[in-house]
Amino acid sequence: MADLAEVKGMIEEALPGAKVEVVDETGSGDHLRATVHAPQFAGRSRIDQHRLVRAAVQPRMDDGSIHALSIKTDLLDPGG
Amino acid sequence: MPADPELKQKVEELLGENQVLLFMKGTPEMPRCGFSMRVVGVLEQLGVEYGAVDVLPLLDPLRQVTGELADWRTFPQLYVNGELVGGCDIVEEMFESGELAEMTGAEQPAGAEAAAPPASADPQHSPPLQIENN
Repeated sequence: MADLAEVKGMIEEALPGAKVEVVDETGSGDHLRATVHAPQFAGRSRIDQHRLVRAAVQPRMDDGSIHALSIKTDLLDPGG
Repeated sequence: MPADPELKQKVEELLGENQVLLFMKGTPEMPRCGFSMRVVGVLEQLGVEYGAVDVLPLLDPLRQVTGELADWRTFPQLYVNGELVGGCDIVEEMFESGELAEMTGAEQPAGAEAAAPPASADPQHSPPLQIENN
């Protein structure tokens, strides 16, 4: 069972300036969906964008508090 | 623990031999995981020829291999031209945007949207590839 606020904080720390939303997809607290808009994604393939997000939360994957993480990434929209 | 060198070499061979290669849980006919099933659904809609490897018999050794080759340890994984494209989320996103069709040289189906494979899917893929643990 993951702490959603902590997971969000881990991503924001790894990707300064990112807009991050983390939701519990199933209500079980271990299947999460992270939607991340970050300037660091510029010029990177999607898989690389996902690698950045996943690396940020890896400790919570490793300790089993996150069982599944679904990721959606996008460049930070200039207006946002 | 480093990946088994023989298994790694086998995977590299498969990547060289299959322009589109899916590592999945189960087989295209009988996926054993909803995410794997969704990727199969995308590939069937694209009508692209692909190879499929069932990772379940060798799950942990294959995680080691893909971890070393592509820095990715969860399945499914779709490779195009030997490069990891992504798992279910990325594959669906790139299908809907038309990028996957472009990348594989397939024709984007009209009104394409990610969905479960049609019941009457006419499989264009080659038979599931076996990796034996010798």
